[in-house]
Amino acid sequence: MRALAGVVFFALAVQAQPDEKQLNIDSFEKVWKTIRDKHWETNPGGLDWNAIHAEFRPQIDAADSTERAREIMRQMLARLKETHFAIFPASVYRDVEVEMSGEGSPGIDLRVIDGQAIVTDVDPGSPAEKAGVKPGWAIESVNGKPLHDAIDKLKADPQIHEITLERAILARLSGPVGGTVHVVFGTGARENRMLDLQLTEPRGDPTKFGNLPLEYVWIESKKIENTGYVRFNLFLDLAHLMPRFSDAVESCRRCDGLIIDLRGNPGGIGGMAMGMAGFLVDKPDQRLGTMYMRGATLNFVINPRAQGYKGPVAILIDGSSASTSEILAGGLKDIGRARIFGTRSAAAALPSVIEKLPNGDGFQYAIANYISEGGKALEGNGVTPDVEVKLTREALLSGHDPVMDAALQWIQKQRTTK
Amino acid sequence: MRKLAWIAIAAAAACGAQQSEAPAAASLPKAETILDRFVEVTGGKAAYEKRTSEITTGTFEMAAQGLKAAMTAYSAPPDKSYSVIDLEGIGKIESGTVDGVAWDKNAMTGPRVKSGDEKAEALRDASFNGAVNWRTLYTKAETLGVETIDGEECYKVQLTPAQGKPITTFFQKKSGLAVKRQMTAVTQMGEIPAEVLMSDYKNFGGVLQPTRIVQKAAGQEVSITIESVKTDQEIPGDRFDPPAEIKALIKK
Repeated sequence: MRALAGVVFFALAVQAQPDEKQLNIDSFEKVWKTIRDKHWETNPGGLDWNAIHAEFRPQIDAADSTERAREIMRQMLARLKETHFAIFPASVYRDVEVEMSGEGSPGIDLRVIDGQAIVTDVDPGSPAEKAGVKPGWAIESVNGKPLHDAIDKLKADPQIHEITLERAILARLSGPVGGTVHVVFGTGARENRMLDLQLTEPRGDPTKFGNLPLEYVWIESKKIENTGYVRFNLFLDLAHLMPRFSDAVESCRRCDGLIIDLRGNPGGIGGMAMGMAGFLVDKPDQRLGTMYMRGATLNFVINPRAQGYKGPVAILIDGSSASTSEILAGGLKDIGRARIFGTRSAAAALPSVIEKLPNGDGFQYAIANYISEGGKALEGNGVTPDVEVKLTREALLSGHDPVMDAALQWIQKQRTTK
Repeated sequence: MRKLAWIAIAAAAACGAQQSEAPAAASLPKAETILDRFVEVTGGKAAYEKRTSEITTGTFEMAAQGLKAAMTAYSAPPDKSYSVIDLEGIGKIESGTVDGVAWDKNAMTGPRVKSGDEKAEALRDASFNGAVNWRTLYTKAETLGVETIDGEECYKVQLTPAQGKPITTFFQKKSGLAVKRQMTAVTQMGEIPAEVLMSDYKNFGGVLQPTRIVQKAAGQEVSITIESVKTDQEIPGDRFDPPAEIKALIKK
């Protein structure tokens, strides 16, 4: 799942370098050439990129430290006036580069709420459920290491996505299948709970797609009174996911409304957004948005199904809804087909990459631009909900989901005002 | 050959073609001479017209993405076609043409009936023996010059249809075979500059066909390897019937 979060982190080890100056020059050249060759515009940001080189290269030649070189490269990237082009000191990423040590999971999902890692979901039948873990519990420490310091440090850096932070914490909870993880939970009561949770295969069906790592994909759907609800963890395994999504929509043709829960969904295959939107739109020639790449402009066109759903559609999102989730939610919002509930999405609609530079710093860049149908770039902006509703620990502890409640109320209102 | 070249959305990137000094237009052969020679060197008009159907099997590969799949294509006169690629993690990617309708269907974007330039292009591609019948498919044929591709001089011929984008094909001077195509692929997602490289011609039912087809567009590369082409096979009529979802869309 990490690989689909839109950002790939490489180990950024800090080491004393024999020739700091040359490494900084090499780093500058790598950054400049990458933008020249991979930016979606041949004149990146409308700039004369050769002139940019001529302007900044002498400054790099004169830089007397890695800090100064980093500052110069940041100034160069700032000329693009685009998000997701950044230089990161290696030290910042020690806390997020935690690799999953295995695919084993205790069956917990979490969000960082008010500076704490809070359990938001417990997978049915998982070790966490069997051990009695509840939504709303705070994860205080994992294997003896407190989480507070790492969370505070990462939250202080505005460049760190919420989704990245949460994946870093989830990685700490992972390990080999059959192993255990020792977790201290704050339960909301006086005493903390210390639990040794077994690590089992993640929820869902193992799915392989090309060179992507093995992922576990699940989808669930149900009726809440006369409202349909569908949720899935990734836009992958479409041979199985799309028929299940289709069934969920088909079975809901007479529903008062349909809720699509994309909270925590980091995306996957972008084209699936078009396919899913086709179940909800009946006018032809509508688009979710447009992707601009070097050498091609791709319109995300919706193909209306012969029998789609015509009632009210609510989409739930949060800071961990990324990539394809944002393309679907943002596009349907822009064409007026869905009302969005929750908090602003991850603003990571595109696969941006972080590469290690010769001097040890990290270099992040986006390889395409995506403009949602409303004319706004999703990258860096995200999808802003129509109705902002924040998840709170108190609500989770009392068994409520205020985001879902808001969507249900809106659907009921649509029914009564019909 | 053309229909196989269009089975997947392709990608663009040059293959080291070098422009040589353009000969004076008067010294260039006429496009129709080059096109007719292609028919001749690949088997001759009679061999083409003798065939009544084709069933082609092979593999479809996007190596950079780690994707590989089996591919089967059926075609019959005048412009009936059906192709299917079964891709792990995606499922069946189907497309077809019949009775003036062009369609595609896959689990990702759903069933779709093509229209406009995209439909015109699909029907042209599906034209059985299109190499022989190019005069009915295109309104203009022009020799644009000579270019060297992989050390071989090639005539550059542009064909312009009544509806849709022109297509440029490079024919080796020496062999007369087509080795490269450049076009703007008209897709639902937009117009994508694309390049198709063709090689490893083999004889199937009396007609030479390329068995290695590499398509490049939008930074992606698709390789199609033809393993067999069975000609004059009995193809059940319903093989070309659009799926029920497509029929429902046609009715809508």
